[in-house]
Amino acid sequence: MSNMVAPKNTSVWVDIHRCKACDVCVSMCPAGVLAMAPAPNSILGSMIEVVHPEACIGCRDCELHCPDFAIYVAERGEFKFARITDEAKQRAEAVKNNHYRKLSA
Amino acid sequence: MAFNYDKYLRTDKLPTLWCWGCGDGVILKSIIRAIDKMGWDMNDVCVVAGIGCSGRTSSYIDCNTVHTTHGRAIAYATGIKLANPDKHVIVVTGDGDGLAIGGNHTIHGCRRNIDLNHIVINNFIYGLTNSQTSPTTPKGMWTVTAQYGNVDPTFDAAKLADAAGASFVARESVLDPKKMEKVFVEGFKHKGYSFFDIFSNCHINLGRKNKMGEAKQTLDWIDSRIISKKKFDALSDEEKVDKFPLGVLKKDEEALEYCEAYSKVIEAAQNKTKVQL
Repeated sequence: MSNMVAPKNTSVWVDIHRCKACDVCVSMCPAGVLAMAPAPNSILGSMIEVVHPEACIGCRDCELHCPDFAIYVAERGEFKFARITDEAKQRAEAVKNNHYRKLSA
Repeated sequence: MAFNYDKYLRTDKLPTLWCWGCGDGVILKSIIRAIDKMGWDMNDVCVVAGIGCSGRTSSYIDCNTVHTTHGRAIAYATGIKLANPDKHVIVVTGDGDGLAIGGNHTIHGCRRNIDLNHIVINNFIYGLTNSQTSPTTPKGMWTVTAQYGNVDPTFDAAKLADAAGASFVARESVLDPKKMEKVFVEGFKHKGYSFFDIFSNCHINLGRKNKMGEAKQTLDWIDSRIISKKKFDALSDEEKVDKFPLGVLKKDEEALEYCEAYSKVIEAAQNKTKVQL
């Protein structure tokens, strides 16, 4: 069983035992919250990471498009979601152009 | 708390056997949300699936399930529905399963207008057996059985179901799971044969050799082929080539449902008279 109850102060959380690192959630995220981080033990060599949880706008696109029941978004009321900013949009675009990989700081 | 999919799943079977990024999982999620919205008891639901990647659906969803022989899911489902007219039967097949080897069963299920919910996961290829040409593979595409490009004309599954007599026909794609869920709910409520042609992505077997190797690229390709019904109707005949309208394409509430028709046969047999339709 996955954890369906939102951990405290968390916008998005992932069950890494189910995630296959397909990039679909990263490609759907409009706010650049998610990105792929290197993970040598994972089949495709990378694993999803919630890089900017504070920027999540709660649109649930990642949860709806995840084919593997692996990513969850908190309900409104459980987390104070941000509004979309230009910075978030640019970051989302940059992550997509970086082959969905995490941007180096 | 997020939507509790695990309540409807055999969680010991997860993670799924589907490839990373496969649309089948998105469709399964939409089916689950639609069942949840309908408020059905899982003991009253039966999911029947054939062979292929789509056939795995019946393994993951936790209700009464039958994983049947190749193409024969509709035949099994017809029997299940006739024996239990008050239960809800959902049939999940792929494009190869439901339109090629099982095409015969599909058209006759549509003709009878029996109250089944038939979901065709249309990924334009035989995915499980490694890229053979299916009845919906677009012309010119590479498959292992058409290595110089496919020349076969393609089926429009929704038009086929419409012509065969299904009383509810809809088309959606994995690009919009919310709309898919809505269409499922509308079809599940409908009494009669509900046919859903759902476009899905197979970037592993269709995409890799056709220069769209990632899930996102295959989704973009599907996006370029779909258009809302309203916009589709406004297009010229030349523009309609290789475009598929989305949404509810046919809804006929008047058509006689097969279980109701058959109950008249039972009545007539008991009274030793002829059926009155």
